[in-house]
Amino acid sequence: MLCAGSVRAKNAMNIMLTNVVDAVVGSISYFLFGFAFAFGSSSNPFIGTDFFALKDIPSSSYDYSFFLYQWAFAIAVAGITSGSIAERTQFSAYLIFSFFLTGFVYPIVAHWVWSSSGWLSPSLASSSLLFGSGAIDFAGSGVVHLVGGIAGLWGSFIEGPRVGRFDAFGKAVPMRGHNATLVVLGTFLLWFGWFGFNPGSFDKILVAYPNTTGQGNWTAVGRTAVTTTLAGSTAGIVTLFGRRLLVGHWDALDVCNGLLGGFVAITSGCSVVEPWAAIVCGFFAAWVLIGLNILAIKLQFDDPLEATQLHGGCGAWGLIFTGLFAKKEFVLQAYDSGESGIVRPYGLFLGGGWGLLGAQVVEVLVIVGWVSVTMGPLFYGLHKLGVLRISREDEVMGLDISSHGGYAYNAHPEETGPRFYGEYVRLQAKS
Amino acid sequence: MAALSCSAADLSPFLGGDTNATAAAAYICGRFDAVSNKFIDTAFAVDTTYLLFSAYLVFAMQLGFAMLCAGSVRAKNTMNIMLTNVIDAAAGGLFYYLFGFAFAFGTPSNGFIGRHFFGLKRFPSASFDYSYFLYQWCFAIAAAGITSGSIAERTQFVAYLIYSSFLTGFVYPVVSHWFWSSDGWASAARVNSLLFGSGVIDFAGSGVVHMVGGIAGLWGALIEGPRIGRFDHNGKPVPLRGHNGTLVVLGTFLLWFGWYGFNAGSFLNILKAYGESGSFYGQWSAVGRTAVTTTLAGSTAALTTLFGKRLLVDHWNLTDVCNGLLGGFAAITSGCSVVDPWAAIICGFVAAWVLIGLNVLAEKFNYDDPLEAAQLHAGCGAWGIIFTGLFAKKQYVNEIYTGLPGRPYGLLMGGGLRLIAAHVVQILVVAGWVSATMGTLFAMLHKLKLLRISHEDEAAGMDVTSHGGYAYHDDDDDDRTKKSGIMMRMVAEQTATTRSPYQLPV
Repeated sequence: MLCAGSVRAKNAMNIMLTNVVDAVVGSISYFLFGFAFAFGSSSNPFIGTDFFALKDIPSSSYDYSFFLYQWAFAIAVAGITSGSIAERTQFSAYLIFSFFLTGFVYPIVAHWVWSSSGWLSPSLASSSLLFGSGAIDFAGSGVVHLVGGIAGLWGSFIEGPRVGRFDAFGKAVPMRGHNATLVVLGTFLLWFGWFGFNPGSFDKILVAYPNTTGQGNWTAVGRTAVTTTLAGSTAGIVTLFGRRLLVGHWDALDVCNGLLGGFVAITSGCSVVEPWAAIVCGFFAAWVLIGLNILAIKLQFDDPLEATQLHGGCGAWGLIFTGLFAKKEFVLQAYDSGESGIVRPYGLFLGGGWGLLGAQVVEVLVIVGWVSVTMGPLFYGLHKLGVLRISREDEVMGLDISSHGGYAYNAHPEETGPRFYGEYVRLQAKS
Repeated sequence: MAALSCSAADLSPFLGGDTNATAAAAYICGRFDAVSNKFIDTAFAVDTTYLLFSAYLVFAMQLGFAMLCAGSVRAKNTMNIMLTNVIDAAAGGLFYYLFGFAFAFGTPSNGFIGRHFFGLKRFPSASFDYSYFLYQWCFAIAAAGITSGSIAERTQFVAYLIYSSFLTGFVYPVVSHWFWSSDGWASAARVNSLLFGSGVIDFAGSGVVHMVGGIAGLWGALIEGPRIGRFDHNGKPVPLRGHNGTLVVLGTFLLWFGWYGFNAGSFLNILKAYGESGSFYGQWSAVGRTAVTTTLAGSTAALTTLFGKRLLVDHWNLTDVCNGLLGGFAAITSGCSVVDPWAAIICGFVAAWVLIGLNVLAEKFNYDDPLEAAQLHAGCGAWGIIFTGLFAKKQYVNEIYTGLPGRPYGLLMGGGLRLIAAHVVQILVVAGWVSATMGTLFAMLHKLKLLRISHEDEAAGMDVTSHGGYAYHDDDDDDRTKKSGIMMRMVAEQTATTRSPYQLPV
C-alpha cells in the first residue's frame, strides 16, 4: 500500500505486482534453500548446510512456526529493494533479483547474526563471541533493513534516476505519489505489523527470569512493544517539525516516512534498551533520514520510496545506537535467559565498554560489503544484458499499460446523469 | 492457589514419619513447587500475550479511524485529516509515556489524579507491566482521534497539536483515573468508599473514551462554527459528501475488527477461573461473551439505522449504516462484559435512534460535525452508560468486580437504583470536566486566532494550503490524455520491431 500510494498512478499495478511477487517468489526460494542457508544447523559460521526444503524439520531446535516467522522476515527484504528501483525496472529483473536476494544474499547475513553458529551471533559460547560480545541485531535493522537498503542502493544507482526526476540543470523535480491515503494506510499497517516484527523476535514468551519476581520474556516482550512505539512516535514528531522548518508546511508523507525510519532504527536494539533510550533513537533516526534525503538530491540519486535512505541509513544508525545504549540487564535477558552473573559487553554510554559497539560497526561494514559484492554485480550484469531498465518510451507511458495489460485505475468520466440524490429524486418526480 | 501448595511437614507423616519419609516429602514438595511455579509463569505468558494482542487490535482502530476520516471528508482535505490521525498516535505516544499514564494509573495516590510512573519510572511494578501501559496508550490515542473528526476540514494544524497533546496527556488520563484506577473516586474497583456503595461500571470506556472525545469535539465544532457552505442563508443544511465511500467502509470494518481488542481485551487477563479451578467456565468465557455482546450491539444498531433511514430519507444509505454500526459499538462499550447478549440487542437498537435523533437535532441547531463524532461518541456513549445502569446482570458484575459481594447491579434486573445513579453522575462529571478543560482550551485558541483557518484556505482546501499538495494525483507531469493517441501507436510499433535480442519477453 505504501509503495502503491508513493508512485505515479501509471505504475501502480507494476509496483503492487512486484510486492506480490516478492512474497511468492521469496516463499519458494526461502523454502528450498534460503532457510537452510540461514539456519541449517551445522557448526559452519558462514553458511548453513541442512534443512533444504525443510528436510528434518521439525527438529529439536526449530518447528514450522519458526520457519514461517523467518519466511515473513525474508520476504520483507526484497520488498524494501523493490521500492528503490520502482517505476523504471523490467519485471523480469524483479523476478531475478528477488529470487537471489531472498534465497541467498539475505539468508547468509541472517546466518551470521541469527543462527546459533553464526560468527557475528551474540549467542555463541562466550569464548567465540566476536569482541567477547557478538552483534546485537535483535529483529534486523542490519539483517533485514540494511541488506534491503544497500541492494536498493545499487539497483537504483546502476539504473539511474527516473526520466524527468532531475531537470537539465540537475535540480530535483518533485514526483509526487498518486494517493496519499494509501501511503497512510500502508504506514499504519506497517506500524501494526511491527508489533510482530520486534516483540515477536523473542520467539518464545514463556521463559521465566531467575532471581526476579514474576518477570520473564513476557515482561521483555511488552517492553519491546513500548520501545518500538516510542521510537517511531518520536521520529514521526521530529520529522513533522523538522520538515516544517525546512519546507514551510506540515507534510503527511514525510511524517509517515519518518515514523518508519524510527521503527527501522529501533529494530536492532528494541529488546535491550530502556524506553527513554528509544526516544533518543527515534529523534536521531529522523535527522538521519532528513539528512540522507538532502544528500540524495545533491548527488542526483533517485529512490522513489526513499528506501535506501530509510532502510539503509536508519538501519545503520539503529545498529550503532544499540552499541551505545544497550542495557546490561536486558542484554542478559535477551541472550542468556536472564541469568545473572554473566559478564559481557553492553552499551558504551551505559558503561559497557567498546566490545558491543565494535561488533555493531563490524556488522554494518560486512553487510554493506557483502550485499555490494553480490547484488552490485547482479544488477550490473542485468544492466549490461539490457534487462534491467525499461525503455524511455515505456517509462513515459507507464509500466502498467506497457507491461501489465492496462491501468490500475479505470476512471469513468461521470455520466451525464445526476450526481446527487436530490437531483435523482427531482428527475424521477418529473418523469 | 491454595490447592497448588505442598507442605513437606504435612506430607511426611503419611509416608511413615521417619527420616526417609521427611526427605521424600521434601523432594515431592520441591517438585510440586516447581510445577506450580511453571503454572504461574504460564499464566503470565498467556495473559501478556492476550493483552498485547488486544493492544495491537486497538491500535488497528487508529488505522480504521484514519480511513473513516479520510473517506468522510472532501478530497481537498484528505492529507490534513490523515496527518492529524498519525500525529494523534505519535504525539499521544510520547505524552502518555511522559505523564499521561502516570496521571491515569500512578497508584497509590488520591481519588482525583495519579502521581507515580512518570516516564515509566520504577516500571514494571507488582501491579503493572509494559503490556498494560501499551494497552492503555492505545486507548488514549483513540480518544484524541475522535475529537479530530468534529473539527475536521477547518482547523489549523497548530490547534490540532495543542488540543491533542492536552487531551491525551491530561484531560483523558484524569478521567480514566476516576473510573479505572483502583484509587479513583468513582471506580467500581475501589476497595472502600464506593460511590453510592456501587462505583461506576464503564468497562471499556463509553464514558471514559467516547464521551470524552465526543464532548471535546462538540466544543471545538461549536466554537469554530460550521464549514463554509454547510448551511445556506436560510439555515438549511447542504450535504457535503465525503469523497470516498470505499474508505469509509474499510475504516468501519477495521474499527469493528479492532473493537474486539477494545472491549474483550479490557479484561486485561484471560487465565482466570471463576470460583473453583477445573470448570469449563472462567474469565475466558466472559471474554468470549463480551465479543458476542459487542457484535450484537453493533449489528442491531446498523440494521436499525438501515431501516430507520430508509423510512426517513427513502433510500438505503451506506455511510449512515456505517455510522450506526459504530454508534452501537460505542454504546455497548460500557456494559459489554456485564450484560447478556439479548440485552446487547436492545442497546444497539436504542443507540441507532439516539444517533439518528441527535443528527436531526444537530441540523436544526446548525451544528456541523463532519464525522458526526459528537453525536455518535458522546451521544451513544452516554446512552451506553445509562444502558449499563439498567441491564447489568448480577452474576457477571460480581464475577468481574469481586471486592464487594452483593453489590448493586442493573435497575431493570432488580439491582436497585444505586448503579444507575452512579452512572448518571458519570455522565455529568465527564461532560462537566471535559467542557471545563477542552471548552476553555478551544475558546482560548479561538481568541488567539489559532483555531479556525481562513476562508480562502478553507475554500482551496487544507492539503494544498498547508500540507504541500493534494493527496491524489491522477494526472502526470506528462499529460497522457493529450498525447495518448500518438504514444499508443509508438508503443505498438516498438514492440513489433525494435526489441533487443537480449530482452526477455515482457
